[in-house]
Amino acid sequence: MITIDNLEKFYRTEEVQTVALNKLSFQVKEGEFVAIMGPSGCGKSTLLNILGLLDDPDGGSFVFNGTEVSGFNERKRANLRKHNIGFVFQSFNLIDELTVFENVELPLIYTGVKTADRKTRVHEVLEKMGIMHRRNHFPQQLSGGQQQRVAVARAVVNNPKLILADEPTGNLDSSNGNEVMDLLTELNEAGTTIIMVTHSEHDAKYSHRIIRMLDGEKVTENVLV
Amino acid sequence: MFRNYLKLAARNLMKHKTFSFINIFGLSIGLICCMLISLYIYHEYSYDRYHEKADRIYQLNNVFIENGEERSHATVPAAMAGLLKQDLPEIEETTRLLRLWEDDKTLLKYEQDGASKVFYETDGYVADASFFEIFSYNFIDGNPKTALEEPNTIVITDEIAEKLFGNESAIGKQIRVSSSTNGDHDYTITGVFQPHLQPSHINARFFLSVRGGDLDEFINNSTTLLNNNMFYTYFLLKEGTQPEILEAKFPVFIEKYIGEELRARGSGRELFLTNLKDIHLNSEIAENVTPPGSLKYIYILGSIAILTLLIACINFMNLSTSRSSKRSVEVGVRKVLGAEKRTLIWQFLGESLIMALIAFVFAIIFVQFFLPVFGQIAGKEITLALNQKAQLYLLFLVLAVFTGFLAGSYPAFFLSSFKPVKVLKGKFSNSFAAVSLRKGLVVVQFVISIVLIIASVVISNQMSFLRSTDLGFQKEQQLVIPLRSGQAKQNYSNLKNSLENISEITSVGGSAYYPGISNPQDWMMYKEGQTMKDAKTVYINQVDESFLQTLKIELVAGRTFSREFPADHWANMVLNETGVSNFGFSSPEEAVGKWIAFDWEGQQHRFGIVGVVKDFHFKDLHIDIESYGFILNTDTSPNYLIANLGAGNISNNIDKIESAWKSFIPDEPFEYSFLDQDFQKNYQAEDRLAKMISYFTLIAILISCLGLFGLATFSAEQRIKEIGLRKILGASSANLVTLLSRDFLKLVVISIILASPLAWYIMNQWLQTFAYRIDINWKVFAFTSLLAVIIALVTVSFQAIKAAMVNPVKNLRTE
Repeated sequence: MITIDNLEKFYRTEEVQTVALNKLSFQVKEGEFVAIMGPSGCGKSTLLNILGLLDDPDGGSFVFNGTEVSGFNERKRANLRKHNIGFVFQSFNLIDELTVFENVELPLIYTGVKTADRKTRVHEVLEKMGIMHRRNHFPQQLSGGQQQRVAVARAVVNNPKLILADEPTGNLDSSNGNEVMDLLTELNEAGTTIIMVTHSEHDAKYSHRIIRMLDGEKVTENVLV
Repeated sequence: MFRNYLKLAARNLMKHKTFSFINIFGLSIGLICCMLISLYIYHEYSYDRYHEKADRIYQLNNVFIENGEERSHATVPAAMAGLLKQDLPEIEETTRLLRLWEDDKTLLKYEQDGASKVFYETDGYVADASFFEIFSYNFIDGNPKTALEEPNTIVITDEIAEKLFGNESAIGKQIRVSSSTNGDHDYTITGVFQPHLQPSHINARFFLSVRGGDLDEFINNSTTLLNNNMFYTYFLLKEGTQPEILEAKFPVFIEKYIGEELRARGSGRELFLTNLKDIHLNSEIAENVTPPGSLKYIYILGSIAILTLLIACINFMNLSTSRSSKRSVEVGVRKVLGAEKRTLIWQFLGESLIMALIAFVFAIIFVQFFLPVFGQIAGKEITLALNQKAQLYLLFLVLAVFTGFLAGSYPAFFLSSFKPVKVLKGKFSNSFAAVSLRKGLVVVQFVISIVLIIASVVISNQMSFLRSTDLGFQKEQQLVIPLRSGQAKQNYSNLKNSLENISEITSVGGSAYYPGISNPQDWMMYKEGQTMKDAKTVYINQVDESFLQTLKIELVAGRTFSREFPADHWANMVLNETGVSNFGFSSPEEAVGKWIAFDWEGQQHRFGIVGVVKDFHFKDLHIDIESYGFILNTDTSPNYLIANLGAGNISNNIDKIESAWKSFIPDEPFEYSFLDQDFQKNYQAEDRLAKMISYFTLIAILISCLGLFGLATFSAEQRIKEIGLRKILGASSANLVTLLSRDFLKLVVISIILASPLAWYIMNQWLQTFAYRIDINWKVFAFTSLLAVIIALVTVSFQAIKAAMVNPVKNLRTE
């Protein structure tokens, strides 16, 4: 599903050029659950941003579903993103002014789904995540775990092929964290590819494969399953 | 999607109440100012547009060329209209209008069955019978075509008709009209009209027929095409006639009739046409039937309207962008979920549009409320009725939508350009460019406010200078009583004698005119050894022997008139100092004993100079002092009696004067005015401008401060962690207040530096319209700067103090 080859990314300030990704290469097959680990500043998040089409690499190739996407313009990237990729963030990133229902509904609006269909699908997903009863609440009225469920619901409502999770349990206590990890596992078992950046060895164990990075390079790769 | 935005916008409004309030309140006030001023400008532009034949109606104007100087006038001699019509086939019809120039009020009297109704009316005119053929008047009774054809006929407004006759028909009734200009005569009412809602430069409340009054003979027998330039003359041009074609024929006409005479006098004359619709605003002529509007004031007010709205828009931009850190996550999330930049731009524009529309609704409501007050300040009857001005409402809606776009455009582009990678990582920081722009916009706001403050101060200084300047005569305690009817004039001497017996009254005098009102009489005069070719204009006032003493005009050489010298009557003159130097006398003493003269119908009329008085302001301070001569007239009674009340109790004295009036002239109401107040009326336009500018200045400052307050609030919020840390490290509250206020004060100081020269330039231009004016003092700038700093400091420090007082532990915990 994803093939990256010699991927490079540099950050420049006026005086120094920092290498964020240094000729990184790996593949992720459809249906896989991959965890990416490494110390702060090793390039995990940069990698995730490029995989999520939020950022452009400076060199190398990125093939998504058989299409070379590095060099896509903003519009093409947005289009590819909204149909294929769901995001889960450490800090949930829900819109405070929208209710749970409306937050989850948002991706469907941008992909042009009709109102009646939207309602059905949002309700399905909320039911699945066990937060249907909270659908008219605003994010700040929910606990952290509940907020992250909403975020996951929002990430999957469009049935994306790929979910990118950036430390999804980072802001949660362990029991809420486990619940979210169980949710992701369920989704993966249902066929969704998941790439997750994490600091937690515990969370990483949920995955099939762990890629460890240091200074923008892949150091090891452990297959767990 | 649209509903989603709407919902979001509504929730954003409710959630951030301070922000919403500042924006909606600011935008409402901006729109209200804009709307009020637009209505004023619309009113000024709507003069005379309702006349059906307006496109073909032209006023004939006159240019005097003397000693290379050109002076334009709206009036021409009586005979001009007829001769031009006779010679030029392009003219379909002409009409002449003559103001009852010596009446600021005319006495109307209706007698029936021994009872009588008497009152003063303003704005009376003498008009040709063709007047209503050319101009469209809304007759509710009578036939406009024939109304002024018969001698001694009068057309009145419905209001006067109601005052005189109640619900009875006015047509055919006879009233007595007593006028200083046109004499005492009976008139039959032949028409009643309802004045148009839209304004006209002709503000007449009644029209008298030419025939039947004292002026009849003067108007109909006057053949001169040079003198007595006092008739407003209008032409109705034939369909399809270009005014330029007609104007091109005027020089030939002038040459044919008065070419030779003009050459003998060494002067020139030109004629030109002004379209009816241009008379009020687009004419170079300073005096017309009613004082024309001023394009300059329209530009000033228009600029103020735009600037106030701009200030409100800037508030919106600044508050939106400063709040951007809060909205950055939303932008990031939406982009990650597939929103394109374009979609987000529309979302943010939509939000500002909603605010603008809410502001619009408030503005429309409050405009209705403020309109009467504003009308009073502006001195205009401005109305806003839906049926009449639907387009105007539509225009306001467009204005509101435009405001929404203007205010929302920058935030929309700014917010929608956020990179989700950055903002979602919480790395959001206001870019240098955004912060600089915000500061720049605050400076723009304060520059506008400071310029307005300086303008208000300069205008008010000039106005008080005008009020306090020594006019060269005593303007206080001078009671002016107009003498209109024959009866009043006949009793002048009796009245004067009886007032002189009231002990507090120091002196009583009479005159044709008095300082501050129009002085239409002037003669072209020359001195001994010269001819009419060298003649210079001298303004003339006919007075009685005690007028100069009553006004306390100071004598510098010779003597004034008095009862001891009855032979001064129509033979001698008291000249002012400017007259002395204009005629080339080396000193006042030298002028005394000499004569000046004018030629009339081949005869020389000499006036011996018996005295010279110090220069005084006969006209207001817009105008330079010109040559001025008093002549003694003991034959005809004056138009005005002026009593110097001295230091006594004014109301007590007025009571005494009134009872004297009643004893001699029992049938007429006693009316009076005070000379200083009459003089002040000349500054009405400036007084109104001053008032309007000062109100709008207050509003501009208010909106600016609101914006500054909002920015200070957000700045304090954003720096809350920094403030906490500084406090823990030992900063005092005073240190922190200084820290938070300093940035804003810097901007105010920059604004002062930019605004001062700009304001100086603009106000200096304005002052040039006065012949006598103040210099703009450095104190004005010092005062304004201090004021601006204080206002800004108060606004900002409120938030700064609040932020500095909070327990630092609490601040640090918010992270």
